[in-house]
Amino acid sequence: MLLFRSEEHVDRSGKPKGAFMTPAQMWRLADTWYHDRDDPAWRRRSADEAEDVFAEIGLKGDFWRLTG
Amino acid sequence: MNILVRVRLAVLEQTIASGQVPTAGEIAAELDLPLEMVQEAYGKLGESHVFVCEPGDPSRLRMANPFSPVPTAFRVSARGGSYYGNCVWDSLGIVSLLGGEGTVETACPDCGEALSLRVSHGELSDAEGVVHFSVPARHWWDDIVFT
Repeated sequence: MLLFRSEEHVDRSGKPKGAFMTPAQMWRLADTWYHDRDDPAWRRRSADEAEDVFAEIGLKGDFWRLTG
Repeated sequence: MNILVRVRLAVLEQTIASGQVPTAGEIAAELDLPLEMVQEAYGKLGESHVFVCEPGDPSRLRMANPFSPVPTAFRVSARGGSYYGNCVWDSLGIVSLLGGEGTVETACPDCGEALSLRVSHGELSDAEGVVHFSVPARHWWDDIVFT
């Protein structure tokens, strides 16, 4: 997961093209994912739960599927 | 508290305090546990994708998510400390874990221009660029270091 100046810079980099998100979406995902990592009760999300988190911030479609 | 929770929390606490991801030996000393027990815990935390173990070395972590034990292209400043994140996701995760106040500095992998993301009071306040994922979600853990 890398931060590029723009989608054009991803094209120019020659890296395999996958999926994009805005920095705002990335912050929401990172905040949801890690804010409680130092809580003794924290547990790793199931694949279904992770897909729900992705969907909540607008990440839908086959690229973001962990199940099925 | 079971040993996996104790080791997980001790790794995070030591990393946050020192900026360095601890070895199994350092955690064994901190928790007053046998080294082999901590190495076994590192292995189990790696198998369950909580952390990533260093191949061939049961005393080291390759990733103490969200922290990286080795320098990366993602430098994080938060709560008065300086850290390396494994990727942009984990780097913002460090900022979140440390209270939602901090900065991620990196560079565009194409042109090398410096890029930064700033979080203030739990909100992304300054941002530039676009986040790119090369690998589909279901294949992230096929090779998590590449991902």
